[in-house]
Amino acid sequence: MSTTSAPRTKQSTSSLAASRKFKAFAITFSISGPVIYCLSQYLNYPLVTYWPAIGRLVWGYEGARPGAGPNMLWYGWILTTLLIASALGIVAMLIPERIFNRIPLWLVWLLPILCVPYIIYSLMYWWRLAAKY
Amino acid sequence: MRGLISTNTFWTLWLFVHLILALGLLGALTHQAMAVALPVRKPAAGIVSRFRAVPAAGYATAVCVLYVLIFLVGSYIYPQYRIAIRIPLEAGHYYKTGGFFDFKEHVAAIGLVLLPAYWYFWKNSQNPQYDNARKGVTLVLAVAVWFLFIVGHVLNNTRGFAS
Repeated sequence: MSTTSAPRTKQSTSSLAASRKFKAFAITFSISGPVIYCLSQYLNYPLVTYWPAIGRLVWGYEGARPGAGPNMLWYGWILTTLLIASALGIVAMLIPERIFNRIPLWLVWLLPILCVPYIIYSLMYWWRLAAKY
Repeated sequence: MRGLISTNTFWTLWLFVHLILALGLLGALTHQAMAVALPVRKPAAGIVSRFRAVPAAGYATAVCVLYVLIFLVGSYIYPQYRIAIRIPLEAGHYYKTGGFFDFKEHVAAIGLVLLPAYWYFWKNSQNPQYDNARKGVTLVLAVAVWFLFIVGHVLNNTRGFAS
């Protein structure tokens, strides 16, 4: 995995990168993040709803309002994800290392790939319209 | 700022900033992905080998900073897309284009949450325990960024600069 110009040494390059607690936070955040994002979108739990045409920002989900134009939920889904994934990351920092080390690291890259079929399915509205017109 | 230039020019400039930053991220992540997927075992000779032989670990922080910056700029111009671009796209029955933009926004969000682990794995690239995870997450991010770039480019061709 190494390249010719990046020889391995024993030490990591910064104190944050050497921190066991940061490792627990970062890995838990990145493993849970894609799943939480898909769940917050599927269950429609945005932390905020934004109405760009009138500059209105409200907590939680707010459905169609006459004369307000389209609403945007994407910011809300991201904020929900960041909040929950951060909370899980903080909890993981408290778990003993020997238990945390049992979490398979391949989940970090496999779960985002597994989210893709769900995302495509969740956009069925667009694909149906595209097939119709 | 908006008083000095037209609204169209203002948003076009931000879209341009989004594009320029994306080019930097694309280059850095492609170098890294090549370095982990096809590592060079002996001194680089040709242009392809030299492309793969970069000090990939040194890019990790820059990739994270660029990704977050692009994400913030994209988030800033997104409401303009929602009002001035998406509504005409739907009216013109460009549904596949609209669908792929929504696909892009989800991929961008998922890429964002991968950054902490990505950064950690690269900053501990001396530890062979993280080799496979680092390779996997780097390749996933590289594919995601190429996807984001291509969809953004096609969308811009449909209705972008100065629209």
